[in-house]
Amino acid sequence: MFALIDCNNFYAACERLFEPRLEGVPVGVLSNNDGCVIARSEEFKALDIPMGIPTHKIDPALRRRVVLKSSNYTLYGDLSARVQQVLARQVPTLEPYSIDECFLDLRGLQEDWHALGARLVRSVVREVGLPVSIGIAPTRTLAKLANRQAKAQSTRPQVCVWTHADAPELKAHLSRLSPRDVWGVGERLNARLAGMGVLTAAALRETPDSELRRRFSVVLARTATELNGHPCLSMSDLETPRRSILCSRSFGRPLRDHAALAGALRHHCQRAGEKLRRDAMQASAIGVYLRTNPHHAGTFRHACEWTALPFPSADTQQLNRAAQRLLARLWQPAAYQKLGIMLAELTPRQQSQTTLFDGAEPARREALMEAWDAIRARYGRQALTLGPQPVDASWQMNSAYRSACYTTRWDELPRARAR
Amino acid sequence: MSMTPIALAASTSAPASSDTLPRGASGFPSPADDYREAPLDLHHHLVRRPASTFFMRLEGDDHHHAGLHHGDLLVIDRAISPRPGHWLVAAIDGELSVLHLERREAQLYLAPSRPGLATLPFEADDDRLWGVICYAIHALPATGEEPAEPSCLR
Repeated sequence: MFALIDCNNFYAACERLFEPRLEGVPVGVLSNNDGCVIARSEEFKALDIPMGIPTHKIDPALRRRVVLKSSNYTLYGDLSARVQQVLARQVPTLEPYSIDECFLDLRGLQEDWHALGARLVRSVVREVGLPVSIGIAPTRTLAKLANRQAKAQSTRPQVCVWTHADAPELKAHLSRLSPRDVWGVGERLNARLAGMGVLTAAALRETPDSELRRRFSVVLARTATELNGHPCLSMSDLETPRRSILCSRSFGRPLRDHAALAGALRHHCQRAGEKLRRDAMQASAIGVYLRTNPHHAGTFRHACEWTALPFPSADTQQLNRAAQRLLARLWQPAAYQKLGIMLAELTPRQQSQTTLFDGAEPARREALMEAWDAIRARYGRQALTLGPQPVDASWQMNSAYRSACYTTRWDELPRARAR
Repeated sequence: MSMTPIALAASTSAPASSDTLPRGASGFPSPADDYREAPLDLHHHLVRRPASTFFMRLEGDDHHHAGLHHGDLLVIDRAISPRPGHWLVAAIDGELSVLHLERREAQLYLAPSRPGLATLPFEADDDRLWGVICYAIHALPATGEEPAEPSCLR
């Protein structure tokens, strides 16, 4: 058996945890730079304010009735880690899937599944204070569907268990679902399935395996097998390993200066390098792109250029050297609104494989990067940076309505009033 | 009489295992190595369950009589079940509030210290409960002062 456990309206719930006055109030969370709405509480959804709406396009009358928050990934990341710790203590295997979801591999357990689900949900609510829902089923694909079903329940705890793939309530459920609702079936695949008369998830799982393999792909055939209750997809099938990394940000105000852009670029390289090393990956190619604001008067400029790295690397300084050369080539006087870097051709890192080619001391470089990461983890991101980082950091994002980093900064602790 | 200096490691990371402790500069193993233990780590002492432990700052002096002062650092563990006599953080009127849990006859109450505030009946599984306070850390006047030269003030 597998379980998918998911935090309900995670970002809004994190905001509410330390601000109880937001309970029952419509809460919307904004993207980086406060550009648009990326997460909504149930009350916010009920006002019919759509996901993704640009912040300035929200009707002013509605705007007064809701609370908008800048996204606070520091806080969300800390609470997400706590949720995982609480779950990991109680089950053999936990596989984080995103910031607010994780799979639990329950194979080998003999349990009253409903009681286990209820216990897991209650422990997270109690210990971390975030509402979660859980779906339990014989495969990950079915567990994901069961989780959606659990979320629709009005009773607490939200638990949905399908013990067998041919349970009548599961059959009835699948015959009401479009294939589009099944994990891994995209819009295009759905249209092609409709073309051959496969209109429901139930029909998808009854389509012969050989036909799915011949007309579509092995992965879709496996999805159908999973719908039939036989686990055959691993996490790595479900989420193709990250083949690229993107670090980009819009600036709070347009930047013209080459030196200021170079500072922002160093910042992105640091982050990209850290992401690579965290995942034990190395990149073979790097791209830099720059663009002006398409909504402003003047000529729109969008420039992007790639270069191969001399050898696959996860070294922040290597990345930065290549990126700065690209920036020097791309830069022309203009008011830029966005700068980003992309890393591609990611491969698992091989230890010291580069010795043959560059004659440098890659083991020493790796040790340097390890020390770099350790220092920044312990003393903060500002403690050690690649070249000077502008103090006013006008290129950093707008986050006018950010909540405090309640769990990670001594000077931003929540206040509790004596009564 | 000889004095042995004691090294206090101000470490925030996990305590080092005795295998990784450095040997003396001379290269000879110290005879004390066999008796070495990890230094006391206050964070580990105060935070038994990191996933459910949160810190807050107390605002207001109403609980002064109970030794809880404005500005104290509160250590709150959400995993603990509230019992009479505990100090709690609860969401009251949309605000994180600190109150004392008391039992009168068979009923539990959240008891305020501020004059004029009513006691609030409290149920098991009360939605307003945020967490149970385990420690209140109070700073004394010397907090944050730098070590001075040996002075005549003794």
